[in-house]
Amino acid sequence: MKRLAPFAALAAVVAIAAGCSGVDAAKRADAAAAKPSCPASWRAGWQRLANRIDAPVYCPAWVPSPLDAKIGGRWSTGASASKDRSYLAGFIWFERGSGEVHINLRGYPGHSAIPGCREDEQAGGKRIRKTIPCFSDPQRAKQIGPYKVTLYTVNRDADQWHLLYAWRRRGSLYTVSEHVAPPFSHTRVLQNLDRMMRNLVLVSPKG
Amino acid sequence: MRLTRRELLAGAAATAVAGTSIYELVDRLGSAPARSAASRFPQEQHVLDGLRVVRDDGVEVIVPPLHHRIVTAELRVNDDRQSLVAARDQLADVLAQLEAGRDPTPAGLGLTVAWGLPYFERYVPQLADEHIPDDMRASRERGKRVKALLHSMRFPSDPDSVLLEGNDVAFLLRSDDRNTVEDATQALLALDVLEPTSVRAGFAGGGFDGGMSLPKKMALAAKIPGADLVPPTSELFLGFTSTQKAGLGPTRIANLETLGYTNARHGYFDGGTHMALSHIFEDLEGWYLTFDFRERVDTTFKPGMKARRGAQTVRQGAKQVASLAEVRHDFERSGTIGHSASIQTTSRLLEDVRGTDGVLYRKGTAIPHRADFNTLDNPFAWSARPDIDKLTPEPSAGVHFVVFNPTSDDFRRNRLAMDGVLPDGTRLPFQRGARGQGLNSVLETTHRQNFLVPPRRHRSFPLVDLIT
Repeated sequence: MKRLAPFAALAAVVAIAAGCSGVDAAKRADAAAAKPSCPASWRAGWQRLANRIDAPVYCPAWVPSPLDAKIGGRWSTGASASKDRSYLAGFIWFERGSGEVHINLRGYPGHSAIPGCREDEQAGGKRIRKTIPCFSDPQRAKQIGPYKVTLYTVNRDADQWHLLYAWRRRGSLYTVSEHVAPPFSHTRVLQNLDRMMRNLVLVSPKG
Repeated sequence: MRLTRRELLAGAAATAVAGTSIYELVDRLGSAPARSAASRFPQEQHVLDGLRVVRDDGVEVIVPPLHHRIVTAELRVNDDRQSLVAARDQLADVLAQLEAGRDPTPAGLGLTVAWGLPYFERYVPQLADEHIPDDMRASRERGKRVKALLHSMRFPSDPDSVLLEGNDVAFLLRSDDRNTVEDATQALLALDVLEPTSVRAGFAGGGFDGGMSLPKKMALAAKIPGADLVPPTSELFLGFTSTQKAGLGPTRIANLETLGYTNARHGYFDGGTHMALSHIFEDLEGWYLTFDFRERVDTTFKPGMKARRGAQTVRQGAKQVASLAEVRHDFERSGTIGHSASIQTTSRLLEDVRGTDGVLYRKGTAIPHRADFNTLDNPFAWSARPDIDKLTPEPSAGVHFVVFNPTSDDFRRNRLAMDGVLPDGTRLPFQRGARGQGLNSVLETTHRQNFLVPPRRHRSFPLVDLIT
C-alpha cells in the first residue's frame, strides 16, 4: 500500500454538488484570525499567493515541527494555482525510517462545493475514469475558534492518507490537512490540525 | 534436569500465553452475553450450540464467543500401533476432561480438533487413502480422483511470502470465559504427545447492545494505527458485521456429506467437515483513510449496493446474492468487484438441495460456516519457529480466518472467486493488491493450512482405531 503522499500532484478538479458544514460567520472568523500573526519571513510568500489568485489565503502561524510554512522555503513543496484560482500550498519533512510530516493548505475562491477528483480504474484493457469527491467520509462538524470545520477522513490526490479540515468563508472553501504517518498518530494529527486552525492568519490580496 | 525439546517448547508456549497478554483486556473490556444451554454434544465438532441471535439494522446476527484460541502442533509419537493407540487414548482423555461439566456452547467450551495432511500421510497413509472421502464434484470435473482434503495453495492475491503450513493437528477453542480457553490451552500444551508449533489468540464481539465493541476497544488499547477510525460498535476491525445469520452456512450444511459433494455418507468421516485456517494482517489505516464509506460498501459487498450511511450490518440474504453475470458486469462497468458478491458465485446454493440430513436447503443459502475472529497477534501469540513465522511482539490488527467447507476444493473455489477467478473460468484481470478488489488490497495473508475435522467419535487420532 502506497503510504507517501503524492504531494507534487495537484488534482484536476471539477466542482460537484456536495453537502458540507454550513457557512460560518465571516466576521467572527476574520476577527479571530487576526489574533495570531504570520511570521514575517513567511508572510511575503503567502501575500504573493493571495495576490496571484486575487483572493484571501490562510497563513498558518503554527505548523508541526520540524516544518515551517515558508512558501519556497526548506520544507515547501511549492504553492500552485489552477486556472480557477484554487491553490495548494504544501510542506513536507521526510526521513527514511523516521517518518514524515506533511501538511497541505488549499483554497477554492468562489467555490464552496467539495471538488471532484479524477480516478482511473483498469478493467482488463479498458481504463475507466471516474470523478469522485476529493474529500469524503465527513465526520460531525465542530467549532474551532471562529471556524466551523468538518473533518474528512478519506481524501484524494495530494491529501491522500491525510486527515483534513474543511471550512467555508464568504462562499469559498478552504482546507488544511496533515498526513497520518509516523511519528504522528491519528490523535496527534487531529491535535496538530486543531492547533493550526487556531493559528490561521487571513492574508488578503493587495493592489 | 535436562529438558527435552518438546518440554522446552511446551513450557515456552505455556508461559507465553499464560494470562500475561493483551487478551486479558478482553475480560475487562467486554462482557459475556447471556447464552442458552445445549442439550448434548453434537456429532459435528464444528457446531456450537447456544449462540445468541440479535437483530442489527433489521438483520439477524449471531453473537460469536468472546475468546478464541488455536493451538497447532506436530506429533511426538512413534508410528507403531501401540504408540498411536496410547497417544489416541491420552488425547481422548484430556478432551473428555476439558468438556466434562461444560456445554458445547460459548458459555461452556467449543472444542474442535482438526487434522492436517501431514498426520494422515505420515501415520495412516493407506487408511487415509481408503477412508478420507473423495470430492465427487472436483473428481468429476478434473477427470481424476480428488480427495476432500488437499494441501493448501497460494491464491492470486496472496503475497509470495505466504507460508503453507504442515501442522499435524490444530485445536480450535471457543468460549465466553477466558479462563476456560486458557485452561484448555494449557492442558493441550501439557500433553507429551504434542510438540506445539503455535498458539493463536483472538476475540470477537460486536457492540450490538449499543456499547463500544470489543475490536474497537482492543484496537485502541493496543494503539493500533487506524484504531480511531474503526466504527465504535463494529463487530470486526474492518467495520462490517460478518456473522449475520443468512451469510453463514446453516450448521450442518458444511458437513462432508450433507450436500453430496463427497462420498462421506455412512463412512468413517460422516459428520465431519473441512477447515481452512489462515492468518491475515489487516491494514486499518489503508482501509479507513483511502476507501470512503461508499467504496467500502461497494468493495465489501457489491458495487452500488444500498446501505444506510454508517451501516455495519448490510443484509446478505438469498435475495441479495449476486450472479456471475452481475459480478462480470460490475467489473466491466466500474473496474470493481464486491468481496461478498464475487464469493457468492461459488459459496451460495444455485438451486434448492435436499441435504443428506433431510433438510431442504434453499437456493441462495450460504455453504461456508465461518468461525473467524479478530486478533492482535503478529502473526501468532507464540511460535516454535519465531524466525520463520516472523513473530513480533508488537500487536497488529488481523484476523485468524477459520472457515468450515465441505471440502478443500470447495474452499478453493470460494477463495479464487474472491480474487476474481470465477466458477465459469472467467479470470477478471486484477493486479495483486488492485484497488478495485477493495478489501483484498488491505489484506495480507501470512499463513495457510487445510485440515480435516473428523466427527466427534473419531476426533482423537482418526483412523488409528482401524490399524490392525
